Amino acid sequence: MDAGGDGATGATNRKAPSAAAAGSNPKGKGKGKGKGKATSNSKASATAKESSLLKQKSPAEFFAENKNIAGFDNPGKSLYTTMRELVENALDSAESISVIPDIEITLEEITKNKFNTMIGLVDRDRIDEELYDDFESIKAREKRLAKEARFQETQAKNAALGKKVKEAPAARGKGRGEAAFFRVTCKDNGRGMPHDDIPNMLGRVLSGTKYGLRQTRGKFGLGAKMALIWSKMSTGLPIEIKSSMKEQNFISFCRLDIDIHKNVPHIHLHEKRENKDHWHGAEIQVIIEGNWTTHRSKILHYMRQMAVITPYAQFLFKFLSDSVDKNLTIQFARRTDVMPPIPLQTKHHPSAVDLLLIKRLITETTKQNLLQFLQHEFVNISKSHAERLIGEMGPDFSAKMTVKSLTSQQLVRIHQLFRQAKFDDPSGNCLSPAGEYNLRLGIIKELHPDLVATHASSPQVFEGHPFIVEAGISIGGKDVKHGLNIFRYANRIPLLFEQGADVITRTALKRINWSSYKINQQQDKIGVFVSIVSTKIPFKGTGKEYIGDDITEISSAVQSALKQCCLQLKSKIVKKLQARERQDRKRNLNRYIPDVARAIMDTLGEIADETPPKRPRYDKEDEELLEKVNSQEVTEMTFRDCLTQHVEQVDYEMALEYAMQSGVSDEPREAIYLNSLEGSYKFIDFQSPLFVFRFVP
Amino acid sequence: MSEKKRRAGAGAAAGGSASKKPRVSSAASYAESLRSKLRPDASILATLRALASACSKSEPAGASSSSKALAEDDPAANYIVVADQDSASVTSRINRLVLAAARSILSGRGFSFAVPSRASSNQVYLPDLDRIVLVRRESARPFANVATARKATITARVLSLVHAVLRRGIHVTKRDLFYTDVKLFGDQAQSDAVLDDVSCMLGCTRSSLHVVASEKGVVVGRLTFADDGDRIDCTRMGVGGKAIPPNIDRVSGIESDALFILLVEKDAAFMRLAEDRFYNRFPCIILTAKGQPDVATRLFLRRLKVELKLPVLALVDSDPYGLKILSVYMCGSKNMSYDSANLTTPDIKWLGVRPSDLDKYRVPEQCRLPMTDHDIKVGKEMLEEDFVKQNEGWVKELEMMLRTRQKAEIQALSSFGFQYLTEVYLPLKLQQEDWI
Repeated sequence: MDAGGDGATGATNRKAPSAAAAGSNPKGKGKGKGKGKATSNSKASATAKESSLLKQKSPAEFFAENKNIAGFDNPGKSLYTTMRELVENALDSAESISVIPDIEITLEEITKNKFNTMIGLVDRDRIDEELYDDFESIKAREKRLAKEARFQETQAKNAALGKKVKEAPAARGKGRGEAAFFRVTCKDNGRGMPHDDIPNMLGRVLSGTKYGLRQTRGKFGLGAKMALIWSKMSTGLPIEIKSSMKEQNFISFCRLDIDIHKNVPHIHLHEKRENKDHWHGAEIQVIIEGNWTTHRSKILHYMRQMAVITPYAQFLFKFLSDSVDKNLTIQFARRTDVMPPIPLQTKHHPSAVDLLLIKRLITETTKQNLLQFLQHEFVNISKSHAERLIGEMGPDFSAKMTVKSLTSQQLVRIHQLFRQAKFDDPSGNCLSPAGEYNLRLGIIKELHPDLVATHASSPQVFEGHPFIVEAGISIGGKDVKHGLNIFRYANRIPLLFEQGADVITRTALKRINWSSYKINQQQDKIGVFVSIVSTKIPFKGTGKEYIGDDITEISSAVQSALKQCCLQLKSKIVKKLQARERQDRKRNLNRYIPDVARAIMDTLGEIADETPPKRPRYDKEDEELLEKVNSQEVTEMTFRDCLTQHVEQVDYEMALEYAMQSGVSDEPREAIYLNSLEGSYKFIDFQSPLFVFRFVP
Repeated sequence: MSEKKRRAGAGAAAGGSASKKPRVSSAASYAESLRSKLRPDASILATLRALASACSKSEPAGASSSSKALAEDDPAANYIVVADQDSASVTSRINRLVLAAARSILSGRGFSFAVPSRASSNQVYLPDLDRIVLVRRESARPFANVATARKATITARVLSLVHAVLRRGIHVTKRDLFYTDVKLFGDQAQSDAVLDDVSCMLGCTRSSLHVVASEKGVVVGRLTFADDGDRIDCTRMGVGGKAIPPNIDRVSGIESDALFILLVEKDAAFMRLAEDRFYNRFPCIILTAKGQPDVATRLFLRRLKVELKLPVLALVDSDPYGLKILSVYMCGSKNMSYDSANLTTPDIKWLGVRPSDLDKYRVPEQCRLPMTDHDIKVGKEMLEEDFVKQNEGWVKELEMMLRTRQKAEIQALSSFGFQYLTEVYLPLKLQQEDWI
């Protein structure tokens, strides 16, 4: 924490007890018993006291109680979700102003002592040892000491005998109450936030800039706020935001937390600071309870998968802790500067609206009459089409009637017609898929596969929402396990949990016959990448973690995209097999030479052994050969030598033929992306009429 | 339906003991009632005698048809037909092949064998001959090709081994052959396949190569023959029967007073027939190959049929595989199509257990099995086969099986008592001349 933080901590400290108590009350009861119990508990007590009391809940309260909906099931997952929400916000922010994202994520482990000093709590020694869960009774201690003594004895014996000394068994695990805290910082180079909006953008649940019909990573205005709610529940510490927009000569600094009951931000400090190096972007810092041990691999997987789908972004991931050997710094380098376009806001497709949405559109519209409303507030309704639709609605409707005067019965009629009438499918123009190029680069950059194939399907439609499926398949590579490695993306976010029921997993496992593409499903290292983008991803379950397998449109699109990739790979694999076969040919042929020579020689010997009269008449050459066998002019070695020579010759011919057929190298060249140098250097130029080499000494 | 019956039976059993017996096993009682339909054995024997004499009389016609097949050597140009040959001519053929290969090697051209292709697309069923034959189409098996090098080597080795066997005038089993060079052959399926290739290349039967399979089939009943000079009386072979000699050349002096040959699919039914001395009640020869018939059993059956001119009746399971086995006896298997002329026994009558018998004899529901998807697939394929189509009765039976989707084994008849097969079912079948 910086210097200004100390005062603030004090302030927090004063506020924290009340806020934390309010926030964590249901959670405290629910811990270990499940949330359902907690709510019923509070309900029961409410009915007991004042049965007529009607309670209302703020959205923030609701999410605090049901934080598993947003992916905050336990400390480990919360750490993961917090990090991922911040990263996704950062990416969206940078992409929204068409700046290549540059994102730094830092997780800093804070031990309990450090945490206590941070919030100004003095460490207390335990006085009543028996009060604690990890208390060791005298009997248990005797047992343990005896065991340790025995262990040391054997240890000494082994050492004396010169045997390898076993490691001492690991120290006892942490007790239940031992919580780990993390400071999660995420810094980006995106749009930043307007100074005055910061409190509302981060301190009010369900407020967001991403509402509307468009392909976005986030949707509900929940992510960062949930992190804040979690920090309030687990540590009671406020969130800190630094932000600056382009062309802004100051940095906004804000420290705030959230009033869960009222769902309003509670500002501790909100000030403008100097912006010397014209930085723009946002830096958010939040301190939460987490669990690095259990979710380490998930977090790293997430970063890696994110790097695959966004090769144009640069990520710097750091994990800091007191023990140096646990520290970790991973840089996911940028590989391209081609970014997918910003997804366009689009209008609703008539087959995908409901009654409520029509009402909302009517209140929001600027159009006066019904004809204009239909024509301009929906996609795929032309003027003539709108006129026909109005004619179909009945005599109560006319093109010129004011749209705001429609009765609710009339709205139902419109809704019914929308359901039944035929409309052209929405186009996929409003979508922003990662792009085959980027997907391919991402796969190559992160996995270094031997082979890779990608395919992008044309836009398709499910329930009035267009979607695009892109797929990639890689074979081989670094850090890839044998068998299928499935990478799932929805709107360019990696999906890591609930893999089993997902449409992509199911398709790859059940509906692709890998062996028909010369791919060995068990032995080969197969990377399967499928990215689905849509204005509305049909997630299943409460967490947005998987797409159900029951939507035929999507599952068949996934299947055909994967098959396309497999087809591309098949020809490459076949070529590779041929090349390998060529290499092995000589070895394979030579292996059988001794067997053949022996078999032929055995029989020849037997034929030659027969007394001439018994032998049927052979022609002259055969007779000569048998003579040579008898006189040992021709032996097994002769056959071996002849065959070896023959194999040499055939191999040479085949090699020539192969080289002629396959040409030099028909692999398509790929553009390489060179990171631009930062800072100024002294170059030594090597000039030539065609090019310049610049050498940095 | 049967379940209802059973439940009703259980209820009745609880109610009173008087009505218990007839109701509990109404199917069984019906089956028993069939026993009374049996006429004395003498009259059944009369029918059988008529059948046997009809068969031996019609034989000239059959003989002429088989001679027609042999005489018509025109197709032999198009189809591969192998024949029994003595070891000297086989040896000289091998000699020629080996000498040619040796000269080719010495001239620096490597070597290659021309092997008839035995791919399944190459096997066709000829309605005229009523058996599967192999179309003549040869493919080269050069050594200097990765795909065929191994096969060419194995072929050379097998030729050399067969040569050695013939020269010493002994017989070996396929297993023996395989073990002489396990490292090269890898597994027995490979040496076996190449052995068949060699038969085709040399144009001789596999037994002419002096390589035989181990014994599989057994025979029991009114038959005497000499096995390698030793006189065998098949009525004194106990319950197990006499193993059918793997090389048919050993068999000579076949004599029999049987009226028909009974072909049984399974060992269990064979044992029941042998133990009950069925062949003494109705003079017959009982034969089984314990499942899919091997070459020796097929050869032996053909030999019996040709020499004794007896009718052949088949007792197989009522499922597609039973029919499949019948088809192998009658028109040969795809694997041995090149030798189908010597291996097939046309004119086998399907005695039982036929799908129509299940209802005729009221085989209880719990003894019938539902056909699996695979069974149904096989059944439908069989329906397309020419050899089934030729016989209208078979088509009807097969269609019935596919319609009811039920199959049953011969042992299903044991539900009426272990000896029902020999005491009621078969005699009644024979009495009614119920074969197709």
